[in-house]
Amino acid sequence: MIRRLFIRKAAAAIAAATFPASYLSLSGRAIARPRRHRVEIEGFRFTPDRLEVAVGDTITWINRDIAPHTATATDGGWNTGELVKDAEASVTVVSGMQTTYFCAFHPMMKARFSITPKDQ
Amino acid sequence: MKKHLLLAVSLFALALQPTPSAAQSPAELNDLQIAHVAYVADNIDIRYAHLALAISTNPAIHEFARTMIRDHTAVNEQALALLKKLNAQPQDNFLSRQLTANSEKLVDEMSKLRGAEFDKRYAENELAYHKAVNDLVSNAFIPNIENAEVKSLFEAGLKTFKAHEHHAEMMVKAVSK
Repeated sequence: MIRRLFIRKAAAAIAAATFPASYLSLSGRAIARPRRHRVEIEGFRFTPDRLEVAVGDTITWINRDIAPHTATATDGGWNTGELVKDAEASVTVVSGMQTTYFCAFHPMMKARFSITPKDQ
Repeated sequence: MKKHLLLAVSLFALALQPTPSAAQSPAELNDLQIAHVAYVADNIDIRYAHLALAISTNPAIHEFARTMIRDHTAVNEQALALLKKLNAQPQDNFLSRQLTANSEKLVDEMSKLRGAEFDKRYAENELAYHKAVNDLVSNAFIPNIENAEVKSLFEAGLKTFKAHEHHAEMMVKAVSK
């Protein structure tokens, strides 16, 4: 049992060392692995208010304000729902999704991200 | 032995409660009186918002009113949680009573209005009210609050109320067109 756990851990360590941030596709080109981005909502601002993301990445919004907030696409295509203080929610980036968003409760809060091609 | 210990703890807790003073200006209020004013001020704005939901038919006014209810309720919940943690009770005072009396008159006045006239009065009052409260919180309350946690809560609350002031400015422009 212990040996199996050790092998699993060792395999994970080798995988992490071999593929730290990207891996090679069959064509030999480096392909970015999905990344996780965090956007803090504090003082009625999204920080950062500009992000570069790729299809497959995840964006997580976490609310540090007392007032509840949302991150809502300007076309309404995606929405985190209400985030109370210290709550968080994530959205996975898909091709063609709306990249400008705002807080549905406080419409003066606005931010955006841009989707870059996944292959590097 | 146990009874003596309980008595000692109770006396210690009582000693931590500031004695109510007959403050005559906002800057003279103690932390628990300031907490009371803030709680009353939050509830007044929630009351205005409920009035707006009952009278107005403007979707933007409804949206704004729902935000006021949501945000001021959240601030009050944080304030009550902090007071519970500090084992303290907010203290009634001249300013809380003055704010309540003024709000009664305004509710009476706004209740008689309908349509665009109500929307304009509600938006203008929201702007004036948040400006007045923000001035009070910035200049009279935050510099005089002694407890660090209470001060921090007011600083966080002020960010919310300033955002409301900005939002109210937009509302006034929208309903004045």
